[in-house]
Amino acid sequence: MIPLGIVALATLAANGSRQLRYSAVALLGVSLAANVLGVGQLSAPQVALEGCGALVACGILYVAARDNAFGEDPGWRLWLATIFAAVATAAIFASLRTATTESIAVSLVGDDPGGVTAQVAAFWLLASGLAILVTARSAVRGSLGALLMVTGVELLVRLVAAPQLALSVLLAWLEVVIALTGAFLIVNERAVREA
Amino acid sequence: MIVAAGPLVLAAAACVSFAFRKRLTLVGPFSLLAIAIAFVLVGLTAPDSTGSLLDLELRLGALGRLAALVMLATLFVLVLYVVAEEPAYNFFPTALAVGATALGVVTLTAALAICGVLVLGLLVPVGSFTFQVQRNRSVEAATRHFAFVALGGCMGIAALALAASLPKDQPATTFVLLAVILVIAFALLLAAIPFHTHAALLAGEVPTAALGLYFGVLVPATFVAFAEILTLSGLLPEIAQVVKVQDLLHGIGLVSALGGAFLASGAPDLRRLVVYSVISNLGASLVGIGTLSGPGIIGALAGVLVTGACATQQLLAAGTLERRAGAERPSAAHAPLAALAFVIGGFGMIGAPPLVGFPGRFFIELIAYQFSPTTGTVLVLATLLLLVGQLRAVILLFGTTPTTWKAEPRPVAGVIGAVIFAALLAGGLQPEGFLEPIASFADEFLKAMRPL
Repeated sequence: MIPLGIVALATLAANGSRQLRYSAVALLGVSLAANVLGVGQLSAPQVALEGCGALVACGILYVAARDNAFGEDPGWRLWLATIFAAVATAAIFASLRTATTESIAVSLVGDDPGGVTAQVAAFWLLASGLAILVTARSAVRGSLGALLMVTGVELLVRLVAAPQLALSVLLAWLEVVIALTGAFLIVNERAVREA
Repeated sequence: MIVAAGPLVLAAAACVSFAFRKRLTLVGPFSLLAIAIAFVLVGLTAPDSTGSLLDLELRLGALGRLAALVMLATLFVLVLYVVAEEPAYNFFPTALAVGATALGVVTLTAALAICGVLVLGLLVPVGSFTFQVQRNRSVEAATRHFAFVALGGCMGIAALALAASLPKDQPATTFVLLAVILVIAFALLLAAIPFHTHAALLAGEVPTAALGLYFGVLVPATFVAFAEILTLSGLLPEIAQVVKVQDLLHGIGLVSALGGAFLASGAPDLRRLVVYSVISNLGASLVGIGTLSGPGIIGALAGVLVTGACATQQLLAAGTLERRAGAERPSAAHAPLAALAFVIGGFGMIGAPPLVGFPGRFFIELIAYQFSPTTGTVLVLATLLLLVGQLRAVILLFGTTPTTWKAEPRPVAGVIGAVIFAALLAGGLQPEGFLEPIASFADEFLKAMRPL
């Protein structure tokens, strides 16, 4: 449960920050906590692979910001994204686990073999990312939303019985490419604004 | 491993060409060579060859092989055009990376991996979309494209992951919900109406070669991926049982087909005409897939592959016409061969006989009438509106007769148009070679829909 709480708080920090660099650091916190959630589901090299993907992605956004002041004020979008994420997480969790007969009991400290916390974190990240992406005015929050969604996707993919190493490589690349594309757009937007 | 050779060659070539991207005299021919090698490798691979890479099963089915050859040929003419007409250093690595991901999409057999590779491919062209950033709105267009792709891609992968991880004793509504999310995700990726705003903005602001890369290669790859993912995801039996998902596919398809055709019929310029025509044809193909029938699936996939080739032909011709016209309105007087290429590309776009686009459109409209007379009528109306749009372009280009006709000095777009038209004509006269691989995929699709 503790990593789930860190995921939620770090998401709020990334969403609420006015500076891209702080958002990038908070995003790294989200990824690290998400990786801790999935420790039991993946081998150490796979966790390291996805962790490296997240580190590189956050590093790219940090560098793209160029200075500590650059970013976008979320304003009312912060509250909209948070309320939407809270409602959507509960709704999706209820819709997609209704048929399971197993009881959902999660201890505050300890393992979660059923993957309940991982799923809740995934739904929270997907819903937050979706709300941020849909309400984004520029590539700054667009990149943030996309990276949150990819982190959520990584958590969901870990629960699938599939070639996990290949999917870890793919998703790590996807995270890096999203960050690179987002950074490219941020730099270009800034060039247009400063022209 | 031979199955993976084509995509790996292109991926390696993309990395090399990125390193040397500013040496235009080297990187252009190198890109053409890499695409030619990949084409030969795919051509030499027997249909249904298998392999594995990092525990992922690979298989180049008959449809995958056909789609790969068509997309590589399209990519080749695009790169050739950029080398000869408008050298842009960032285009070559982008084109090679797009080629690698398109081949990856048709080679992989895991739905999650297909979707992931597809999203990578759709994100890569953002670099070639941004153009003269202080003079136009290409950054805004690229940002919107980025948002739509990220949103659609993540929703699609998440829906597939949930479908694969949930226990099989779920209520039908759960799988219906996931199928609906998947359909909406692909509607976002395909720029189907009402999710087409980024495509409309791209049409006006980005270079025509980059548009060709998107609408000529990536959009067909996305549609093929959608059909393959439906087959592989295990959601098809539920989709077949619940009419709501079929209705959703038909709804999005019909709105796109009619809306795209309506916008194309009144398009203010040549680029928008092409882009809206593609959106309309994609809508018709979604209706074809939504019928969940053999002829519908064959027509849908055939239509999409032909639409990609025709869009490339028309966009390259439009680019040449715009460049030669400068500030004036483009007309045949500026580049008669490019204008001719644009017009004959329009024949393929509306599915006119005897070109290879005709059987696909005929199948879709026939099965749509059988499905519902209203659906069939809407598709025929959409075709008529597309015809009106293309005729308006003919009048725009050839409406005023110049005193002397003077062919452009380097008729690259004209020659490319003639080659694509000849290929479409040859395919139309001998359609079995084109339709048989698609028919074998349609068999697989129908088997996946009704598992034993």
